[in-house]
Amino acid sequence: MTIDFYWRLPTHGCHSSIRSGNYDRGDWSPLQAGNIAPGTVNGADSDGFTYIDHLAEIAKAAESAGFQGGLIPSFPNTDDPWVISPLLARETRSFRFMIAFQPGFGNPVHTARLSASLQRATGGRLLFNIITGGGGPAQLWWGDSFSHDDRYGRTREWLDVFRGIWGGKGFNYDGRFYRVEDAGLSPLLAAEEFPELWFSGSSDAALEVAAVHADYYLSWLEPFAQLATKFASVKERTAKLGGEQKCAIRVDLVARPTEEEAWRDIKIGFENVSEETRQRWRGQATDSVGASRQAALRPTDARRYEDLIVAPNLWGGFNLLRGGPALGIVGSYEQCAAKLDELIALGADGFILAGTPHLEEAYRIGEEVLPLLGRHSTALLEAAE
Amino acid sequence: MTIRTYWQIDPAVEPHRSEPALRLQLPGIVRDRRVPTQNRYDYYAQIGQAAVQTGFDGLFIRYRAEADESRIIAAAIAREVPSVEFVAEFPAAVGSAVYAAKQAVTFQRGTGNRFGWAVTQGADAASRQREGDYIEDGLLPERVKEFLKVARGVHGIRPFTLKGGHFEVKDGGFDAPLNRAAFPTVFLQGDSEDDLSLSACQADVHLFRANETSRLGHLIEALDDLAKRADRSPRFGLIQPIVAREFTDEAERDAKRSGVTEHTLVGSYDDVADRLAELAVLGVSHFVLSASPSLEEAYRVGQYVLPRLRTRLSSLRAAA
Repeated sequence: MTIDFYWRLPTHGCHSSIRSGNYDRGDWSPLQAGNIAPGTVNGADSDGFTYIDHLAEIAKAAESAGFQGGLIPSFPNTDDPWVISPLLARETRSFRFMIAFQPGFGNPVHTARLSASLQRATGGRLLFNIITGGGGPAQLWWGDSFSHDDRYGRTREWLDVFRGIWGGKGFNYDGRFYRVEDAGLSPLLAAEEFPELWFSGSSDAALEVAAVHADYYLSWLEPFAQLATKFASVKERTAKLGGEQKCAIRVDLVARPTEEEAWRDIKIGFENVSEETRQRWRGQATDSVGASRQAALRPTDARRYEDLIVAPNLWGGFNLLRGGPALGIVGSYEQCAAKLDELIALGADGFILAGTPHLEEAYRIGEEVLPLLGRHSTALLEAAE
Repeated sequence: MTIRTYWQIDPAVEPHRSEPALRLQLPGIVRDRRVPTQNRYDYYAQIGQAAVQTGFDGLFIRYRAEADESRIIAAAIAREVPSVEFVAEFPAAVGSAVYAAKQAVTFQRGTGNRFGWAVTQGADAASRQREGDYIEDGLLPERVKEFLKVARGVHGIRPFTLKGGHFEVKDGGFDAPLNRAAFPTVFLQGDSEDDLSLSACQADVHLFRANETSRLGHLIEALDDLAKRADRSPRFGLIQPIVAREFTDEAERDAKRSGVTEHTLVGSYDDVADRLAELAVLGVSHFVLSASPSLEEAYRVGQYVLPRLRTRLSSLRAAA
């Protein structure tokens, strides 16, 4: 058994330390001395580097440290993964670009051409994290007014067409949302491998589409028992359709030589969270089931970092320290590896890992945590038998 | 009389070049050590480098349904092709205008604002159906207009709301730092009345097809009139295929050999530079030049024609 490990490219700037909420890499904060990409010359003018230069460094660190590639998230105020990927295609070698994409945003035929062109530019290093969207104001911001369950219906059809035309000429489709006649990629483009699909979404509507189209069903980290139930149900659903569903987890780590050092970083980071940050995360409106599961942790109301320790080495306040999911892993290298092994034992076939700062932590996790994997999972699997 | 010159990358021409599956086979006596990782994008990058080194201001990348997508090509070679502008051609049917605008922002941020959009109305009705696009012919210009309104809107205004016939956005608009990038220069094409009306209100640069001087003069005047009524002043451009050689007879010989399209500019380096200068006097400021093979001809035009054109333009400026 082998497990796929991916890293993440932060598309909204990065922090030089998990202890500080300051986006001092990239241009999401005002330019000042100590900033990187852009940096300053004589403490004032920009040095001419831009954020893509920093993303290039992270991608190269990830591929060097043993990650297959990285998730490239997309939100209203991030850079865009469809452009980041080709910009970095020719200066990376094995890094696979996992584009987070909401299918409704692009015509499926044109998007397939973009995708096949990217496969050609990268030597087949493109894959997708298919997202159907949280709904509410954010969807309307993107110009998308579909209701929640309709959006999954549309995602399903979109993927039907996207996959169908990859077979070449003569593809016909007549659905509720999409209709094509005699469609197909040109032989040049159709010769490329169809990109792997990692599928996110926690609602029943999402799980149904995942069963048909997903290579990997991707979840944020959740309390382990809850996650085990979810994976079991996804795998069962796909098995009924005659397929085999792989599952993957997206999780942040704070891994240090000792557990004490790891919690010290969390403690300082937590104490540096501003009231404004708490307010911002508290007020987010969404109809996403996954987001509500995470919100149930209520990290914005916690006064002590210890209140958010939901299990040994599991901390539920990551969203206060940086954008994204709340639950993450905190501990020594050994403990972090043990947690990942536990997750493998309960059904994870792949991971998207991340740590802040993304550049340095790609090397740290790659060199200190990944080499420890496999010892505990063997033990756990044997115990289960 | 500042002019800008663009070299065309047509991803569908010279299809065997740097294409592992299509490249010309060498006879067995020639030891072939090319590897599959050498790919088509090496060729695009090389054409791009040729354009930079020979003094072009930009690259104009065609949209070809059967070949690599123009925006992917532009982004894939942008970091190794410095300073020049990348104008990517694509139809307004690609998807959400908000999304296209957001992608453009990242391109601008990653390249120092070197991106241009050549938005087209789309292919013929049958081709559009193969793309799942069932819009009527008569609505095509209106869709481009709305596409650009939404894209410019979310790029420059926050909150931005528009409910149109083709695109819809509510309380949209980019925040800092995304809104600090420049909006791409918009190139539109076409010679019909509808095309000119669209360009009068939406184009930064309107590209005409190569044509007779009198016809071009008439079109330029028509667009100028329409634009003045809209209180705008788009610049005029031309997509001009070229066969330029040291001597006129060589150019004519090679043009015959290669079977060129109507209104291709065929002549000696001096002939071609004369004609381009004449067009500049007529009001054309943006020249998209093309010839095949793209790489060698970029060097030829860049080394022999562009310097002659610049000389002519400086004398014209001095005379004025």
